[in-house]
Amino acid sequence: MLTLLSMFYYICLRRRSRSGTRGEALTSRRAVESGQRAVLPISVEVEQYAKEVLDFSSHYGSENSMSYTMWNLAGVPNVYPSSGDFTQTAVFRAYGTWWEQCASAPPPFRRTPKAFHSQDYIELGFEEPVYPTAVEVLETYYPGTIVQILACSHNPFSQNPPTDVRWEVLWSGEPTKVLTPQARQFSPTIKHIGFPTNLLRLEVNSSLLDYYTELDAVILRGLIQLILSHLTLPDLCRLAQSCKLLHQHCCDPLQYTQLSLQPYWGRLSDASLGHLQGRCTLLQRLNLSWTGNRGALTLTGFSSFMKACGLSLGCLELSCCHFLNEPCLEVISQTCPALQDLNLSSCDRLQPQAFAHISKLTRLRRLVLYRTKIEQTAILSILTFCIELKHLNLGSCVRIEDYDVVASMLAARCRSLCSLDLWRCRNLTDRGLAELVSGCRMLEELDLGWCPTLQSSTGCFQQLARCLPRLRKLFLTANRTVCDSDVEELAGSCPSLQHLDILGTRLVSAASLKKLLQSCPRLLLLDVSFCSQIDMRVVQELSSLFPKVAIKKSFTQ
Amino acid sequence: MLSVLSYGRLVARAVIGGLSQTDSRDYSLVTASCGFGKDFCKGILKKGTCYGDDACFIARHRSADVLGVADGVGGWRDYGVDPSQFSGTLMKTCERLVKEGRFVPSNPVGVLTTSYYELLQNKVPLLGSSTACIVVLDRQSHQLHTANLGDSGFLVVRGGEVVHRSDEQQHYFNTPFQLSIAPPGAEGAVLSDSPRAPSDLCVCADSPDAADSSCFDVQLGDIILTATDGLFDNMPDYMILQELKKLKNSNYESIQKAARSIAEQAHVLAYDPNYMSPFAQFACDNGLNVRGGKPDDITVLLSIVAEYTD
Repeated sequence: MLTLLSMFYYICLRRRSRSGTRGEALTSRRAVESGQRAVLPISVEVEQYAKEVLDFSSHYGSENSMSYTMWNLAGVPNVYPSSGDFTQTAVFRAYGTWWEQCASAPPPFRRTPKAFHSQDYIELGFEEPVYPTAVEVLETYYPGTIVQILACSHNPFSQNPPTDVRWEVLWSGEPTKVLTPQARQFSPTIKHIGFPTNLLRLEVNSSLLDYYTELDAVILRGLIQLILSHLTLPDLCRLAQSCKLLHQHCCDPLQYTQLSLQPYWGRLSDASLGHLQGRCTLLQRLNLSWTGNRGALTLTGFSSFMKACGLSLGCLELSCCHFLNEPCLEVISQTCPALQDLNLSSCDRLQPQAFAHISKLTRLRRLVLYRTKIEQTAILSILTFCIELKHLNLGSCVRIEDYDVVASMLAARCRSLCSLDLWRCRNLTDRGLAELVSGCRMLEELDLGWCPTLQSSTGCFQQLARCLPRLRKLFLTANRTVCDSDVEELAGSCPSLQHLDILGTRLVSAASLKKLLQSCPRLLLLDVSFCSQIDMRVVQELSSLFPKVAIKKSFTQ
Repeated sequence: MLSVLSYGRLVARAVIGGLSQTDSRDYSLVTASCGFGKDFCKGILKKGTCYGDDACFIARHRSADVLGVADGVGGWRDYGVDPSQFSGTLMKTCERLVKEGRFVPSNPVGVLTTSYYELLQNKVPLLGSSTACIVVLDRQSHQLHTANLGDSGFLVVRGGEVVHRSDEQQHYFNTPFQLSIAPPGAEGAVLSDSPRAPSDLCVCADSPDAADSSCFDVQLGDIILTATDGLFDNMPDYMILQELKKLKNSNYESIQKAARSIAEQAHVLAYDPNYMSPFAQFACDNGLNVRGGKPDDITVLLSIVAEYTD
């Protein structure tokens, strides 16, 4: 009888909690505090894998692939408890500090709070909103990357537009380096929060890791019904707290020349931008990466801010800013005539026609378009007018139809090009590459990873080496045609080489690698993962002969 | 008077016939697998879904049951490449695609195309080639969609007779169509399978689009046999049908028993030097004086169309 009653209460209350608004929930909490007992006899703990990956800042794999892409983090684990470098896991684009060492990396922003270490993020939706009791991350390769876990009050699967979106930190920590690359289950002690959630965000920092980290699954444990006597005090000063850090900025008497709002991504709104406007008229560098999603920033707030501070702005970081649309880009092109540095990395919801406005920013020197939908016409237009470009990132820009034409245009117009990222540019051939290296002789960094249409037999890599004596970074990841002659040519022609990635070729021998290591004294990173002629014994031998070089050999067992 | 009655009977039959065709139950495939690697040792060491250089998978999704077989082309061994790696990885990738719902039941060629693309996304430099045969049962529409590239294939048996079968795709004798990843410089290479024929390269590229596809209705009780050429080259239809007659119900155990019996028979016949196997017959028809079975990896997937039960 008691069981039946309990079940009855549970079913009724569960229905009520589903249809109740936040206001009702608060009211019931106040009712409890004032002494009235709410009858909640049952709390049910559920365990869920992620239902869907909603957003992320980067990944290693190809768009639309299920190999090494972020979408693998949803659902049940495929690899855990095994360890190793497997296709079925979620892998971010970078690791270590290699990318920070490159000329293409922007200098860090001053006044970034010490507690903010996040480099990448991923957002996961779960089926059922719960009050979280535990979050477990199954890491299957080089673990230790998670630095922050947050929960959101908004249900990403609801039809209603987001209102009053709150992000609460469940756990945060320092970047760590785990001693072995083996798989582990990471389950930090999380804070208890006052609202149910089915949207989690993991923020990661891989700077201490020796290789790409890989994640297999995330488990969210939580209570569907809460035993109210265990609840913490209600969060009445939420508003004041969220503004506390921003408040400090607002009251600072100095005018900002550099401002990074990325650490406050969860709390930045049109209103906060409005408060800051007065302090930013001399702004030279602005970081709004990760901000403004789910309605927090709008065209109105953004344009007002840009009109106030755009004149002197030289650098604008807008990575993962999903609030951006074509009018926003138009505003940028109109208000920031001096802009030299623009980052639109992973703005994958920005429509192709928006990119046309970038060609008006003729002073551009650094342009990052990683994982955007830019198309052929727009990029050619940009290259026609932005002839001062020194750093260009077109990684995973899948909508560009003919990379040979792009390469040709670069060679003709952007002669001072210093770094070029063409990661996963699926149709670049030796013709385009030949033109590129003939025209852009100042190139120091070139990422041609996962470009399957480049064939070593055409001599294109040897020509590349001969044409680019300043070369410091070269990625030929997963180009299965890289051979000994290519490595030997690099040894002979590129004495400044520092980073080289030749993952996955069967044609390179230990002998030519030795020549390379002898001829390139500045070499710091050499990735020979999945090179079938280079086994662990060779790696150990070379490492002992050349101790300054980090020789990477990934494994699957 | 009589004509009215017979007319009435015709109408009644038509109506009843029409009613019984609308079967709103979901169908499913109850499938068992059995096989033998050509090299005994290999067959034992590998997991259950790999028999020698053959590989197979059985996967379920909300909307469909999917099976596949892939016959790794043996000629790669001469070049230092393990032929079972390609076929095994291809089948595992197809299985993963199905389980994650990244496919359309009416487009089995799409399963092959996407799997092949995913193989190229692997950091590991895979090499090798294989045939592939994919069979998809759309639970709701009761349609079987198939894609076949090469000389593996399927039979559909209804009432003791073969009502559908796949066609073999061959470039040359014993050189089937094949999905392949070749080493640089040998793009488009196609290798022949068995040691009986010389393993020379010829320039033919087999893209997944070259697969034959077909689509037809199935009925409850239909038997679907999907297998690699190790079976069809050693066992003619009448022997297979004889074995299938012994299948009395759609229990997994009965199907497993029948699959095992078929695979075992084919395995025995393969090593019989005097037996006029279908392979030997075909060779003779093409001017090669050959007799006996054809030792080969054998993979048999036997399915019965049954009602879907969760």
